[in-house]
Amino acid sequence: MNKKEYLKDKWLNIIILLAFYFVILLILLAFKVHIQAIIAISIIYILGILTTTIMDYIRKKTFYQDLEKKLENLDQKYLIVEMLQEPNFLEGKLLMDALYEIDKSMIEKINEYKTQTQDFKEYVELWIHEVKLPISSLTLMIHNNKGEQNKKLLEQISRLDNYLEQILYYVRSEDAEKDYLITKVNLSKVISNVALKNKDTLLENGIDLIVSDVNIEVLTDSKWLEFMINQIINNSIKYSKKEKAYIKIIAKEESDRVDLAIYDNGIGISKEDLPRVFEKTYTGKNGRLGKKSTGMGLYIVDKLCKKLGHKVSIKSEEEQFTCVKLSFLKDDYYRVIEKETK
Amino acid sequence: MPKIKIIEDDLSIASELQELLNNAGYQANITKEFSNVLEQIKKELPDLILLDINLPRINGEILLQNIRREYNIPIIMVTSKNSEVDEVLSMSYGADDYITKPYNPTILLLRIAAVLKRSERPKDKLIYHDFEVIPQKGILKKENEEIILTKNEMIIFLYLLQNKGKIVTRDELMTDLWNNDEYINDNALTVNISRLRTKLDKLGYKEIVETRKGQGYILHE
Repeated sequence: MNKKEYLKDKWLNIIILLAFYFVILLILLAFKVHIQAIIAISIIYILGILTTTIMDYIRKKTFYQDLEKKLENLDQKYLIVEMLQEPNFLEGKLLMDALYEIDKSMIEKINEYKTQTQDFKEYVELWIHEVKLPISSLTLMIHNNKGEQNKKLLEQISRLDNYLEQILYYVRSEDAEKDYLITKVNLSKVISNVALKNKDTLLENGIDLIVSDVNIEVLTDSKWLEFMINQIINNSIKYSKKEKAYIKIIAKEESDRVDLAIYDNGIGISKEDLPRVFEKTYTGKNGRLGKKSTGMGLYIVDKLCKKLGHKVSIKSEEEQFTCVKLSFLKDDYYRVIEKETK
Repeated sequence: MPKIKIIEDDLSIASELQELLNNAGYQANITKEFSNVLEQIKKELPDLILLDINLPRINGEILLQNIRREYNIPIIMVTSKNSEVDEVLSMSYGADDYITKPYNPTILLLRIAAVLKRSERPKDKLIYHDFEVIPQKGILKKENEEIILTKNEMIIFLYLLQNKGKIVTRDELMTDLWNNDEYINDNALTVNISRLRTKLDKLGYKEIVETRKGQGYILHE
């Protein structure tokens, strides 16, 4: 709010006051009042108008300029009510009360949705754990009753399990609360778990798994990391070539970080698709090739990485290779956590 | 025959698990009543306990602590809760291993064998007929004769030896190899087995590893 805006807003008042002034002037002239008295009355009248206008202007200016400035600087605009000083004029008070009520009802509404979402997430997690029971049962039944269809059945069960894991970690990655635990984790152990999980599919498809130099400890949540590596390897398997396919996993320790590269000689990703592979539900050309793809795997991997403070990057050349690299920083922050957990 | 107590409320899983363990040469017991598990353990004195976390009327983690307070029996937690926090908690309460559902049955058996082996008093020597097996050095030793096995051959031979007289499937061998970070393929397994045979031949044991077509291998007693 500046003077010009204020005056523009008050133009009607000013015109009415001026009109009244002329009426008074005419009356005074008609009664033939002494000219000096007219001047005195005029000065007092105009001074009165000026003082009230200026006083009003100053009161409003302090409040509204404060409001505008704070609103501009605030990141979360709805917090503005908490930042303002109670104004000493009626309109301001009305505005503050209205803002307060609006904020309150909005927060209530948001909390309602928050609780709903939280309830839903908790139910989904619970449900996933429940579904894992019949899956365990099925796995054991298949193992106990050896038959010709076993491999096919197990393959479908492993697909089911994989989809379940995906939604479980999707829910976890969306959660504002921290439900991971950072500990010292040996990469070789996590890789071994993932390898065993995918053993049958790898052998079935004739894909060689070459793992080297992974006996390195990093700071991470081992379950989350296992999920991430599993997603990456699943992609490598899904988009492998028929002949001489392999997946190479190599870790390398640098001074400030540990890099884990998962390299495959599969069909690769086209240049146009590559920058978008971490986007939610983006499937690209490979997804359209008839391979089943949800476009969620790498998206969740990226989200989990951000939460854990790791970095994920991808390189690829069509028909040649794909290489996904996970970087674990040796951050001071982690060292503090490490000390505390000891 | 080691006794294993299954504390699991999902009846279907429990009975399939029992069958799996019985087939693998253990004596498995199902828990039907969960209110007095501690007394049952006192009576049965199992060699190993498979414990689920989500149980009716009792929390598995508390049960784990209670068992630990009185007994030194190895406990493997088997659960569908797969978060790091749950695992770290269970291990800190004294669990010996933590396996999440759904699991690969062969791996479960390997982990059970490993935990049982740890709790056993260490045997001084692994002996097959008249030769000694030294896994750490990768050596088969017969009087003054020594034969060196590669890491893969040793893993295969030990697995056959632990299950001697029984048919061992290729899948079991493969799982054990992968479990030991040896990610070999089918051809490599065939090559490793035939090399192992040649080496055993040299020690004078011809055809002790027999191939059962479509089933697997068997190491004769």
